[in-house]
Amino acid sequence: MNDVISLVPAPGEGREPGLEDLLVRVARGDETAFERIYDALSAPVFGLVRRVVRDRAQAEEVAQEVMVEVWRTAARFDPGRGSAMSWVLTMAHRRAVDRVRSAQASADRERRAVREEVAYDQVAEAVTTRLEGERVRRCLDGLTELQRQAVTLAYYGGYSYPEVAGLLQTPLGTVKTRMRDGLVRLRDCMGVDR
Amino acid sequence: MIDEIHTLSGAYALNALPLGEREAFEGHLTRCESCDIEVRGLCETAARLALAVAEPPPAAMKSRVLAQISQVRQEPPVVPHPPMEEPVRATVRDNVRPFSRRRQRFTVGIAAVATAAAAVLGVVAVEARQARDTAELQGRTLAGLLAAPDAVVKKVPVTGGGTAVLVSSHASGRVLFASSNLPPIAPTRTYQMWLMDSGEIRSAGLLSGETAVVALARGDDRFGLTVEPAGGSDQPTTTPVLLTRI
Repeated sequence: MNDVISLVPAPGEGREPGLEDLLVRVARGDETAFERIYDALSAPVFGLVRRVVRDRAQAEEVAQEVMVEVWRTAARFDPGRGSAMSWVLTMAHRRAVDRVRSAQASADRERRAVREEVAYDQVAEAVTTRLEGERVRRCLDGLTELQRQAVTLAYYGGYSYPEVAGLLQTPLGTVKTRMRDGLVRLRDCMGVDR
Repeated sequence: MIDEIHTLSGAYALNALPLGEREAFEGHLTRCESCDIEVRGLCETAARLALAVAEPPPAAMKSRVLAQISQVRQEPPVVPHPPMEEPVRATVRDNVRPFSRRRQRFTVGIAAVATAAAAVLGVVAVEARQARDTAELQGRTLAGLLAAPDAVVKKVPVTGGGTAVLVSSHASGRVLFASSNLPPIAPTRTYQMWLMDSGEIRSAGLLSGETAVVALARGDDRFGLTVEPAGGSDQPTTTPVLLTRI
């Protein structure tokens, strides 16, 4: 469970080998390989889902669904199109966001959003506890204020870009652009090799 | 719009596109290789953000998941040229197999529905008007759709009860789906809409309420509705309660 650090290649390196092979084996029904995938990715999956959903019991439910979904649909994973980590976490983020978007009245979400600045501080705090986290934190700090808020509200908050635009009282087009150039800057800062 | 759609890559990678726009952008990705490459890199980047908030789940979750997977059948792999069921394969590829088997049964239904729809045009007009009243709130989408030169209005029964009216126009790139009296489903389930072209099925989003407007990509020729686990599925997992040509 503390292999989180080893999942991330150092800048300039290729992707960490292993998880992709494991996931291919999972598609063939290899339960041992699945267990290793679980050990490697359940913490980021749970942490991310919890960040978006907030409620711990619901987060557990969604995270569990995601891990079972990884098992069920592993055959769809195409190593040529991205890392296993990204495949699993994209699925987790979608599930979490679908949960909040379908479950929550928008008024409720807007009220909650007022406190979102606090959420970033919490993120920042969790981040400093891990080596990889520090790199992410440093890279986040390298963004402009608007870029950082647009990216973190969308990803950790689970807000759609029109919602983010409303929260930041910024035109839609500007928010879209900041999400893109913010992520591009993060990508370069983190040394993602794609 | 075309210039603008490229700038959606960041919002897409952050999963911040509203459903209709997400589908439209995915359609765009199939036609824009440089966008697709950029999106992959940005998705990898977004995943790194998740590592920063990693938090071990309760230990009990692992045993629950392991117990559960021993009971869950895995999806078959994608096979480029499956040897069986040629008539279906002629229009539908591999990774949609569970759905396409059912589609054969439904094809007969579609023809019958089309005939029935023609016979009940009067009813359709009324229902379309009702649908329009609802849609007006979402920005007069239906009025615009109905005005499109290639607009098609269809009334389709839903398995288990209820009816749906679909108004589609490839020129406008949209389908409006309006339902009434759909069978109630458990809170752990959701209605999910699907669009199909000759090769694949893709989600058109979850149905919340009775109506929805979804973006249509070129080549989409069928619309389906299934009942899925809450949160939706990547591909249909149950027999469609509605499947029709658009």
